[in-house]
Amino acid sequence: MTLEKITSELFEKLVELAQFSLDPAESEYLRSELNHQLAAVKELSEIPIDVAVAPTTHGLEVEGAASRADEWKLYPNPDSIIALAPESEEGMIAVPDVAANRKTAQ
Amino acid sequence: MNYTDLSAFEISQKVRSGEIKAVEMVEAALAQIAAVDGVQGQLDYKGQDPAQDDKVHAFISLTSDLARSQAAEVDRKVAEGDDPGLLAGVPLSVKDIFCVEHTHTTAASRMLANFEPPYTATAVNRLTQAGALLVGKTNLDEFTYGSSSESSAFQPCPYNPWNPKYAAGGSSGGSAAAVAARETPLSLGTDTGGSIRQPSAFCGVVGLKPTYSRVSRYGLIAFASSFDCPGPITRDVRDAALMLQAIAGSDPQDSTSSTVAPSDYRSALEQDVRGLRIGLSPDYGHISYPDTETGEISYQAIQREVSQAVFNAAEALARAGAEIIENVPMPNSRFGIPAYFVISRVEAASNLHRFDGVKYGFRTTHPFNDLSELYRLSRAEGFGVQPKLRILMGMYVSAAQHAANYYQRALKVRAMIRKDLTDAFNPKGAYRLDALLTPTTPTTAFKRNDVFGNTVLMQYSDQMTVCANHAGMPAITIPGGLDQAGLPIGIQFIANDFREDLLFRAGRAFETATASAAWRAIKPIVLSNQQVIS
Amino acid sequence: MTQYEIIIGLETHIQLNTRAKIFCGCKADSWGDEPNTNICPVCSGLPGTLPVLNAEAVQKGALLAAAMHAEINPRSIFDRKNYFYPDLPKGYQITQFFEPIGKGGYLDLDMPDGAQKRVRINRLHLEEDAGKTKIDHGVRLVDFNRCGVPLIEMVTEPDLRSGAEAAQYLTQLRQLLRWIGVSEADMERGHLRCDANVSIREKGSTVLNTKTEIKNVNSIDAVRLGIEMEAKRQIAEVEAGRKVESWTLDWDAEKGVLQKMRSKETEADYRYFREPDLLPALLSTTEIERIKASLPELPLARKARFISAYQLSAYDSDILTSERGLSDYFESTVAAYGGEPKIVANWMINELLRLIKEKGLEASQLRITPLHLSEIIRLVDSGKINAATGKLLVSKVDTTGQSPAQIVQSEGLGAISDDSELIAIVDAVIADSPKEVESFKAGKESLLGWFLGQVMRRTGGKADPRRARELMLERLK
Repeated sequence: MTLEKITSELFEKLVELAQFSLDPAESEYLRSELNHQLAAVKELSEIPIDVAVAPTTHGLEVEGAASRADEWKLYPNPDSIIALAPESEEGMIAVPDVAANRKTAQ
Repeated sequence: MNYTDLSAFEISQKVRSGEIKAVEMVEAALAQIAAVDGVQGQLDYKGQDPAQDDKVHAFISLTSDLARSQAAEVDRKVAEGDDPGLLAGVPLSVKDIFCVEHTHTTAASRMLANFEPPYTATAVNRLTQAGALLVGKTNLDEFTYGSSSESSAFQPCPYNPWNPKYAAGGSSGGSAAAVAARETPLSLGTDTGGSIRQPSAFCGVVGLKPTYSRVSRYGLIAFASSFDCPGPITRDVRDAALMLQAIAGSDPQDSTSSTVAPSDYRSALEQDVRGLRIGLSPDYGHISYPDTETGEISYQAIQREVSQAVFNAAEALARAGAEIIENVPMPNSRFGIPAYFVISRVEAASNLHRFDGVKYGFRTTHPFNDLSELYRLSRAEGFGVQPKLRILMGMYVSAAQHAANYYQRALKVRAMIRKDLTDAFNPKGAYRLDALLTPTTPTTAFKRNDVFGNTVLMQYSDQMTVCANHAGMPAITIPGGLDQAGLPIGIQFIANDFREDLLFRAGRAFETATASAAWRAIKPIVLSNQQVIS
Repeated sequence: MTQYEIIIGLETHIQLNTRAKIFCGCKADSWGDEPNTNICPVCSGLPGTLPVLNAEAVQKGALLAAAMHAEINPRSIFDRKNYFYPDLPKGYQITQFFEPIGKGGYLDLDMPDGAQKRVRINRLHLEEDAGKTKIDHGVRLVDFNRCGVPLIEMVTEPDLRSGAEAAQYLTQLRQLLRWIGVSEADMERGHLRCDANVSIREKGSTVLNTKTEIKNVNSIDAVRLGIEMEAKRQIAEVEAGRKVESWTLDWDAEKGVLQKMRSKETEADYRYFREPDLLPALLSTTEIERIKASLPELPLARKARFISAYQLSAYDSDILTSERGLSDYFESTVAAYGGEPKIVANWMINELLRLIKEKGLEASQLRITPLHLSEIIRLVDSGKINAATGKLLVSKVDTTGQSPAQIVQSEGLGAISDDSELIAIVDAVIADSPKEVESFKAGKESLLGWFLGQVMRRTGGKADPRRARELMLERLK
């Protein structure tokens, strides 16, 4: 008996949330692997949780320098960051609403 | 003297003393790479050349000019009597998940194929400041998602130097292969569920996952932020200790880096294991394995030769004076993979949100009609299948209606897994262990393409390694022998938080005890082939 | 006819006035800077970068929580709010969802009818701001300068009942934020942003109906207006037999109307989970005590004290406590003056506030000090100068920085108190204005003012107006 938690419909919703667009072959593969993984994860819901143990986010309790002083530290090369953008205009990152509005040829 | 046979320790000694020049070391490393690596991983590779079949393909890119200039600097320091650093002149490769300024940092993904970060990861900086020479970026599973390096968008993926038909493991497959094939004596990898230790075991080298927070994550392109650990891959324990010494310590750019002071790892090497309490757990003698259709659990013993190697190691350590404590329970370790599936995917999906085609990396060249379509096309084309899978899984288990069942529960299970270990290490507990000895992987390396595509089966090869990631504790894999097919077997030690010193101690003692073992004389086949050719 | 009640809850985003951003070292305030000049790898969300918490943001957040009488969380935790938008470089916003820095609390509103109304606070939490996008010829242009600016988001319970109440809440909030020094709270510069949740119900009902959300209101007036418009619209819908749907409405400042933005049903699931790259924000008991103790007397308490201790009217007290520096100035002047506080109040409300407005400064930034002002008032009291001169002195002292006494002496501004001098001038005016004298004697009494004006002119304003008037009447007979 197959536990199919992720139906095609739910899968489409997840794909929407994840902001992908997939071809049918990829979709089927991914959906089936997801279901397999969920089957593997099924045990999680059956483990008796030891209520005395608090959930942990890093394993150990990290002892770090949790914060820093309120000082302005100028980053000397902001241009190098904008230079990474596929398209930019007047120092701003450009995202054409529609591909046709691109200024630069790709 | 064959430079590529030297350990990092030996190289640094000889360079510091002036016996060898750093520039010579660079050329030796580059020559070795040219001899054994074959073509580097590249996008849209369609090559069919059989000559590539027995090459290592550990690298995505080489940084020869950078290495040469770094070498010149080291040599200058030596000449002028300045301190050239702990790792002076040692060739280094870095998993291509670490940002390095002025190099392509690809994460083995089309999404970042041309990405040149304007800054360098802290761990890499510390190594080059210690005199190491960065010769190249190694290949990996795309965004570190996988246990075989086969999912890289840059093919060929790394092949196992012991038998190129076999996987090098993953996700730090390129790093482990580069070290095994003597391309660089040191490589910097990352371990999130076993990604240093598993490929190191498969490739017959030493791989250390330090305590979480021991090494800064700044500049490491994140997979699962609460698990990711940068760490050393080397040929012996002493080199691993040296490398950890260079990179450990808090970093003001990483809030989660620990302010606990690093130990003197080199002095730990000198201590023997007399009186050390080393545990064995029956729960690490098998894997528990869900049927992917029904979810029914079945148990499978680990590969016989692997468990034999662990047993032999226990005996060797006992002869060296350690106390072996059997039957240490680790009852929650079998939940390691399911809990990991959940927690790591939630973090991974979120960490990949930033790759949207807007401000760096890949942007689709196809037509789009609105912002959402730009995102969807860029992400669909930029990401391979494995990242997509992790993102979708992450979306599902963290969705509002499921979070309590999956994510919140998994966090509790994670704490229970840690508790198994803290109980075992508790100096007032029943076992009072200094270290736990386990196999690193349930089997030796699998053939390439055998497991790839079956993501559940692939993940389960991490079952022995993942618990240390959940707990945040340090763990090391040491070569422990070869199986009948000539493939390396790894044995693993796990210790309590910040007790990497105990791992080095136990590992070194084992190396010493087995120094003349027959299997240590056998080299990876790519090296034997190399000698045949030359 | 059905009577309706308007139910309003406000969500404010307050920009903290720290020097640096909340998770990196870039400037917190970059208003007017060129786009993408105040950025670094961290706030631009480059791969591999990590956030590091600014301690001062936590301090200011805790101070605000204390001022709102909220419970300060000694261990608040950061979470990720995941969604896609170009001005959100990481694809998630770091915020505090599960364990905010402040819970509960209230702000008492001084309503115009004299009553007080308590508005309860649900929570306060720290979060980072997003960048800015503008759409130009079909291209979205993104500026990251504002990414990572520290914000406090503060949410009220749905306790407000009118646009006017909402406006009063924002006015007092803005006053409080400046008072305790955690924000410049200038709505025009985006330091204080407000979203309003509006619903209606029949008077007497206790249910909460579907609400709509009004966003992008950029002034207190617009908040009031927007709420009133939306309430009207909802009532009209209900009266027409339709249901109110949970719309999000955008305030169009140019047109002064609300536009429907998007339906709330399709809102993304943000998949909140704890931010693994940050440790909890810890505040020890000692620190929390220190923060609470460092709170100054708050505006409402000070206003009440001014009324009772100085016998000021509520109106005057309100004005004098509108800004903390101003109220400090008032009290210092009263102390230096030693006389009736009401007199000082008058001088401040009339003369000093005028100067403040003229110069565009705050009371504490003026060159004229409370000591100076108290001197001027005493000079007028004693008759050494007249009131008009006193008013003049206020500006002169501020411009020159000299003491009142110095200026009076150097410019010879002393009031003419000597009768003989004054009589001489009065007589001179009478002698020089025979026509006016005739008209006055003929019954045009209003000319008295004109005569006095002439006296004041000839004395350079230094005559005591009362004495001059007395003399003038005497001499005109």
